[in-house]
Amino acid sequence: MSLAHETLVSLRRRLAAKEIHPRDIVKDLFTQIDAREKTLHAYTHLNRESALAAAEKADLSLPLGGIPIAIKDNLNVLGDPCTCSSKILEGYKAPYDATAIARLRQAGAFFLGRTNMDEFAMGSSTENSALGVTRNPWDPTRIPGGSSGGSAAAVAGRVALAALGSDTGGSIRQPAALCGCVGLKPTYGRISRYGLVAFASSLDQIGPLTRTVEDSALLLSALAGHDPRDNTTDLRKPENFLTKPDGSVKGLRIGLPKEYFLPGMDTETEAAVRAAAEWFRKNGATIVEVSLPHTPAAIAVYYILATAEASANLARFDGVRYGRRATDARDVLDLYQRSRSEGFGAEVKRRIILGTFVLSQGYADAYYRRAQKVRGLLREDFEKAFAQCDLLLTPTSPEPAFRLGERNQDPLKMYLADVFTISTNLAGNGAISLPCGFTQSNLPIGLQLIGPRFGEETILRAAHAFEQAHDFWKRMPPS
Amino acid sequence: MAAPKLNVSDVAALARLTLTPEETEKFSAQLGQILGHMETLGQIATGHVPEVTPPAQPALRKDVPTPGLSVEAALSNAPAQANDLILVPKIVE
Repeated sequence: MSLAHETLVSLRRRLAAKEIHPRDIVKDLFTQIDAREKTLHAYTHLNRESALAAAEKADLSLPLGGIPIAIKDNLNVLGDPCTCSSKILEGYKAPYDATAIARLRQAGAFFLGRTNMDEFAMGSSTENSALGVTRNPWDPTRIPGGSSGGSAAAVAGRVALAALGSDTGGSIRQPAALCGCVGLKPTYGRISRYGLVAFASSLDQIGPLTRTVEDSALLLSALAGHDPRDNTTDLRKPENFLTKPDGSVKGLRIGLPKEYFLPGMDTETEAAVRAAAEWFRKNGATIVEVSLPHTPAAIAVYYILATAEASANLARFDGVRYGRRATDARDVLDLYQRSRSEGFGAEVKRRIILGTFVLSQGYADAYYRRAQKVRGLLREDFEKAFAQCDLLLTPTSPEPAFRLGERNQDPLKMYLADVFTISTNLAGNGAISLPCGFTQSNLPIGLQLIGPRFGEETILRAAHAFEQAHDFWKRMPPS
Repeated sequence: MAAPKLNVSDVAALARLTLTPEETEKFSAQLGQILGHMETLGQIATGHVPEVTPPAQPALRKDVPTPGLSVEAALSNAPAQANDLILVPKIVE
């Protein structure tokens, strides 16, 4: 069997036993890439030579020694392109490593390539990439989800073992659900965002996409911890998330938020998620119904706050210091306007305009400040729910992967794809998505487990127990 | 709160964007619909709720000099440069 099909934990074991060499892993991955990438288009750039060179000198004594990882195209890796799948960053090469990248390097990992994404992480289908669409490995006529669609398609499609993504409103969990892999959005403050191209700084979080929960824990252990360069990172010393979980969920109290099971939702998704809840109950967990009453307001709150923050964060792309510069500008204002208008795609422009509007004089109270207050109410909802339970169990996405082109002309409809993931970013909690079933047409269904803030240990323990009791994670997309 | 009429061209100008007539027309319709959805927030009582502010964290790093990017690295992506400086159009006549 190709090494591209294996998990990080199993490869690390085989590397330690000297059964295989890191170069074998890289070669098998590139064989897969050559066979599958034409259909998938998960990558926007491949490090063919540097990955092989890094494999030759890998230090196997390190926790991720000899392991290649794919990186979403919005994280700076020294010397690699970092385009955020935008024309405005065409030709840009990162002059430094993001902290998350530096930590993976210190742990012995190296980097296979850059994965496709919705431009500046704005989207739920990866169709907003200026570098072409990515296809779902289970059905190439469908979207992989987004915005970390390239990372999810690469891991599920066996052209990467694991990848990093970023999650501002569901951008790790929703594509993980739609492609059938494991996506973890850690608690806000768990992983440094230094070197992640900022979208909405009060919501952005980096996290791993992997085949298994154990692999997710392995990467989180390398990534987590305080960074003086991101002062939102938690000061506590992070735990080792890989302590052998015992596979038991006995005594766990699991809340089902009634607002996440809506009439009219996809019946196969609802059935799979309810069956997962039943599995937890049968194995000794207690299921309680809880309420997050402000859930219906989450989309509006998110698209006010995220666009407001994006309008400020993306002001740096002005054609002066880096990125695309319009030629023959009359003056500096013309330079800004033309560089930005030529460089940004439609969704990015739409969100910058919306964000500028909700912050503008006369409207900031009605939109931005009101949204901040409702965000406070959403957070209170989560605090009250976690007084009654240890974890929340929900669908990750209201439905399986939709078809390419089905929604990209209707932004509001696209925004609604994030309805079950957005609140977690607004509240700052951590959450995981893992496969919990397949539809009759063989599309993956994702289960979301949300924890209290800094409750990753509980999330990973429960997710691991569920995963290992089922074989959803072993299923392979058709080749 | 009733959905205000968003003047897309004016707001775009504030954000240093120039839109084509097609973009202006399309964004006006789409953003109107999105703002309509946002009006639902007006129904939530928020009078008693404090605005969420970033959590205070005593995490300011010590003010000691550390090595930064070299001039060469910092300028490596500049579209136009000379003498270790970035070139831009003239801003003062």
